[in-house]
Amino acid sequence: MALDFDRSIIGSEFDRTVFAPVTKEAIEDYIAASGEPAANDMAAPPTFVVRLRGHRWMPENMPNLGRTGFDAGKDIAFGVPVRIGDVLTAVSTVHDIYEKTGRTGSMAFVVLRTVVTNQRDDEVAVIDQKMMFR
Amino acid sequence: MILDLHTHSDASEDSRAPVETYMKWLVRKRDLLPIDGIVLTEHRQWNPAADYRPLEDKYGLLILRGAEVETDYGHVLVYGVNDDMTRRFDFTNVRLSAQELIPAVAHMGGLAVPCHPGRPTIGLCEHYEHKPPIDGVVAVEALNGGSRRGENERVQHLIDHYGYHAVGGSDSHLVSFIGICATEFDADIRSIEDLVNTLQQGGYRPLDFRDRLKKDV
Repeated sequence: MALDFDRSIIGSEFDRTVFAPVTKEAIEDYIAASGEPAANDMAAPPTFVVRLRGHRWMPENMPNLGRTGFDAGKDIAFGVPVRIGDVLTAVSTVHDIYEKTGRTGSMAFVVLRTVVTNQRDDEVAVIDQKMMFR
Repeated sequence: MILDLHTHSDASEDSRAPVETYMKWLVRKRDLLPIDGIVLTEHRQWNPAADYRPLEDKYGLLILRGAEVETDYGHVLVYGVNDDMTRRFDFTNVRLSAQELIPAVAHMGGLAVPCHPGRPTIGLCEHYEHKPPIDGVVAVEALNGGSRRGENERVQHLIDHYGYHAVGGSDSHLVSFIGICATEFDADIRSIEDLVNTLQQGGYRPLDFRDRLKKDV
């Protein structure tokens, strides 16, 4: 059976979160926890964006694509640096749902895309989170 | 002439390799990998607008394009993709009928080659154990750079029993894997039409460069 779901979900926004201004302490905490070096005194390491947590990480109307699933990886395209005082906004959409076959059978993949921008609407990061279901 | 007939660039969802970086790698490794060109076979897709001629000119390597599609007999490389094929077959469908696809592709001017036949579930060998052979198969990918131990070895039976020609490809998803397995052609190939015609006729064999690369480490 091919994947059976309402394709209108693709491209739909399911979360929009505006975060409190980035503090020096938050950047220092991230550097201490991750070991990632800062680019300079004012900017966070690029991977700082992975600490952001929106209100919802999956759409409410997510189709049932299988009984089990796991994290299939994350791609991040980095934009402008995150600086102290930045107000970041993360908008998450269902970017793609597709099926593929492999040695162990068929699998469904969901790609959730989160675009992070700052208060100037500069793109800070595009994060593609993949989940596999079967 | 030596071509890597099975490659994936970052146009495929599971590859991070830009085509230009493949070109740079092949130029850099020319002494170990005497590859004259590659065929991009992106997963479940065909982009008619893609144009790699500027990269061909810049690096002096042939860049042809095909597609890797998924069927009820496993994965299949399609060479000579055209509008007739993409109108008739939905390349994103992972359950295409191989019995329908392979003869139809040939009828529409292309050639479909089952790839990594020795792999479980997505290889031809397993399906031939309980389903009839497919009409119109001319060649199979006997040497696949991404196969696990024993998987390439299973393919020899198909070649012996059905008389299929054998090709090789790296199935590269990473830059350093490009060209590790390839196909040597007696004929000169300059276009996808040349490739389809030659694959139909014979005069080619798989080549394995992995041992040569290991010695370079």
